[in-house]
Amino acid sequence: MPAAGLELSALRRSYGAVHALDGLDLALAPGELVALLGPSGCGKTTALRIVAGFERPDAGQVRLDGADITPVSAAKRDMGMVFQSYSLFPHLTAAENVAFGLRLRKTAAPQRKARAEELLELVGIAGHGARYPHQLSGGQQQRVALARALAIRPKVLLLDEPLSALDAKVRLQLRDEIRRVQLDLGITTLFVTHDQEEALSMADRVAVMRSGQLEQCAAPAQLYDRPATAFVAEFVGTMNRLRGTMIDLDVVEVAGRRLPVDGERPVPGTKVEVLLRPEAIELEAIEPDSAADRAGADPAVGTVRTATFLGAITRVAVTLEDGTEVKADLPSHRASEFPAGGRARLTPAPRPVLVVAP
Amino acid sequence: MALTLDPPLTDAADPVPARRGARRPRALGAWAAVAPLLIYCTIFLGLPTWALLYEAVRRTNPATGVTSFTAQNLTDSWSGFYLTAMWGSLRLSLLTATISAIIGLATAHAIAQSRGRVLKQAVLTASGVLANFGGIPLAFCFIAAAGTAGEATGLIRKIDPGFALDTFTGLVLVYPYFLIPLMVLTTMPALEGLRRQWREAATGLGGTAWDYWRHIGGPILLPTALGGFVLCFGSAFAAYATAQALAGGTVPLITLRIASVLSGNVLAGQENLGMAMSLNTIAICALMMAVYLPLRARSARWLDS
Amino acid sequence: MAGLVTDTLAAADRPEPAGAAGPPSARSLAERLSRVRWWRVLMLAVVAIYLLGPLLSALWFTVYNARLHRFSLAPYGQLFGASGFLTSVRMTFFLALSTIALEFVLLVPAMVAIRLRLPRLRGVVESIAMVPLVVSPVALTAGVSTVLGWGLNDQGSWMFRLDADLQNQSFPLILPLVYAILVLPFAFRALDAALRAVDLKTLVEAARGLGASWPVVLWRVLLPNLRAGLLSGAVLTLALVFGEYTIASILGFVPFAVWIVQDGQGSGQLPIAVSLLSLLLSWAVLFLVSFLGGRRAAAVTDRSA
Repeated sequence: MPAAGLELSALRRSYGAVHALDGLDLALAPGELVALLGPSGCGKTTALRIVAGFERPDAGQVRLDGADITPVSAAKRDMGMVFQSYSLFPHLTAAENVAFGLRLRKTAAPQRKARAEELLELVGIAGHGARYPHQLSGGQQQRVALARALAIRPKVLLLDEPLSALDAKVRLQLRDEIRRVQLDLGITTLFVTHDQEEALSMADRVAVMRSGQLEQCAAPAQLYDRPATAFVAEFVGTMNRLRGTMIDLDVVEVAGRRLPVDGERPVPGTKVEVLLRPEAIELEAIEPDSAADRAGADPAVGTVRTATFLGAITRVAVTLEDGTEVKADLPSHRASEFPAGGRARLTPAPRPVLVVAP
Repeated sequence: MALTLDPPLTDAADPVPARRGARRPRALGAWAAVAPLLIYCTIFLGLPTWALLYEAVRRTNPATGVTSFTAQNLTDSWSGFYLTAMWGSLRLSLLTATISAIIGLATAHAIAQSRGRVLKQAVLTASGVLANFGGIPLAFCFIAAAGTAGEATGLIRKIDPGFALDTFTGLVLVYPYFLIPLMVLTTMPALEGLRRQWREAATGLGGTAWDYWRHIGGPILLPTALGGFVLCFGSAFAAYATAQALAGGTVPLITLRIASVLSGNVLAGQENLGMAMSLNTIAICALMMAVYLPLRARSARWLDS
Repeated sequence: MAGLVTDTLAAADRPEPAGAAGPPSARSLAERLSRVRWWRVLMLAVVAIYLLGPLLSALWFTVYNARLHRFSLAPYGQLFGASGFLTSVRMTFFLALSTIALEFVLLVPAMVAIRLRLPRLRGVVESIAMVPLVVSPVALTAGVSTVLGWGLNDQGSWMFRLDADLQNQSFPLILPLVYAILVLPFAFRALDAALRAVDLKTLVEAARGLGASWPVVLWRVLLPNLRAGLLSGAVLTLALVFGEYTIASILGFVPFAVWIVQDGQGSGQLPIAVSLLSLLLSWAVLFLVSFLGGRRAAAVTDRSA
């Protein structure tokens, strides 16, 4: 089954005074998994529902393989949709649920049965076909929902926060399963989520949305390393904000270092806040009351507040003299150097940074 | 850590049964709390029922004054005069229940779609009033509307010249007044429980509205609808106040017959016939319950999942 | 055989099913709606006419004096002066209060105990609460009158004196005793819904852990949290007792509903005015109570009707 390309252009949708979508442009290459990521209310679910055909946009187009499907009804769009929860038909068994789409297409019973079994095996719950939804766990139900959506061989797979209602452990498991199935089938997929970890680990590209607009659409690594805007930088991963001053047109001074600035470049002399990732900060333990400690009000020196063990990494929270709290990551074997109450110096890595107004 | 949002199976939230041993003294206190209820029901529910059973199989010979056990009462209750009454009740109940079930279901569907919460609440509480507590006031309102001197009687007589409120037809006009609200109350929760995702999933898989109702909505609602029908039937069958007020002496109904026997309106020696007839009604209602309860349990499982 | 108002009091406040949040879809829904809307509106209109018709007729009947061709609210004014009105209202009111008190004294401790310590009894009590629906009011009355009749034979016995007390004309104690059984299905449902909405075990354990004795737990912790369910149960009981005709009339007493019928033999407008008022009043009270209880009941997903 050849994969299909999906294109959203200039989608707009308002509900009264609320602009759910304010000009969204997005293109999915055939076979690509794109995650729509953003906080609640950013319009991602609205966008998905417009693609599915459950809502009509006020303006803009949805194109499938180049053909405009905006006026086409949801039933005829040939897309598979997986909902967040409670979407399985409770009075049908898992197998009957999966075969439902085929039944509507008047496929003969033996073929329906075979296809249902094939799909249940694909999603990892072969043998549970005779169970009813209320006899299945949340994770199993979502597998059935996925199988049901795929049974009709759709051109596009749409997932509306399918993992949000599940246990953490099940969520991780299913994340991998969904990605595996998607790659196996090579089906173009649009995946809505508010969980950035999910988006980053599953998607070929992540489209970060805010207030109905696209902030940035890029591969996960690029999103993380080179965020286009401060919103993306802070939404994806953890970000510190340190006080600094613009020294030159594209240089900022922060924590005793001068760093090049990417993106917005305020006028020299402006006070800004510099965005730094925890892993981009070096920590150095200082003896309390030592010469280094007493070297004046060093903006890069602070008191260790807590050290949170996260496995291979320990995240150390340091409070600077001016009250800013900074989180720095270091390998856990070094954690003992930084007891609570001890003093430490921060050094930002010599890489370009983003700055924002304080 | 996020908690699973898997919906609980019905009553899964109930606490684990108390363990033995150390808990026994406290469980004793619990039994003491439940005992009054159980004793009360035994006396005021069990005793009258037992009395019915006992008296239904006894008969006092008017000539000799001797009371003896006999099945005569039960046989009599299913013959002649009394059979007509039973048959009348069954016919009336079946007819009005069917009409009300269909109209009630459609009405509930229409209301479930509406968005105004105040309106919905108003309609539901009004239904509650009409379904349960309307008996006598209802009868009087209908007398005003469609009785011999009623406002709308002329209109109705244009369609059915022989119409009168104190006939079988008259009751068929009146009974839906409390049966339709009953049906609305019974089926409303189920209609509201139809999840939007089911409709959308069906549509996304290529189904039309007809497909949805035929394969999904209909089957899911069927147990509740049938259960509602059964409740309507039982309610119509057991109705007394309205029937008495409107058609006390004119329409043969089992509840009216029982009441008239209880007030002494019966041949000597046949006083216990009322008990036998009451037993018959209990049997019929028990049958209804036996059909209703499994239906309700099944639809609850589907709509709670 | 009715009584699901309690479910709807809870059901109508239930939040939208998960995943259904979100504004209605645009033109597709509107398109679908416009096609079906017309028949739905038509049907709702017909049902509305059927339901409002008799009420409006009755209203018209009571305010328009056909003979004198003029409007007058006189019948409503005459209410209070009508012989027996105030007596019957007062008696019915106290009957209702006794029933409510009896009902709660029996049910609340029992249901709390069951929920906390004896969960296996819940099925038993729920079945018992269903029995009054099977043993319809008429059959129950037959049984009760038989039991009462047993005491009549021996004039000097304690049973005779008990019977006399129970059937005292000015305050027949037998009525609340029997009403408590009649109300059982409703009160059980209301209380059950209220108990389900509250995490009883945790509240009680927290209170006991802080050192509260059982009476204190009941009074200060449980009752305030069950207030919504208790209130709706009480209101339903009140309405039921005021509307109850079957048992009272067969046993020969004259509370409100019976009085309306008796008085109805005389002037036409008065009983109809009273009927209308009682219907409207019950509805108004239920409506208001449903909002008071609204927030608490919202957590219950009792779709099992």
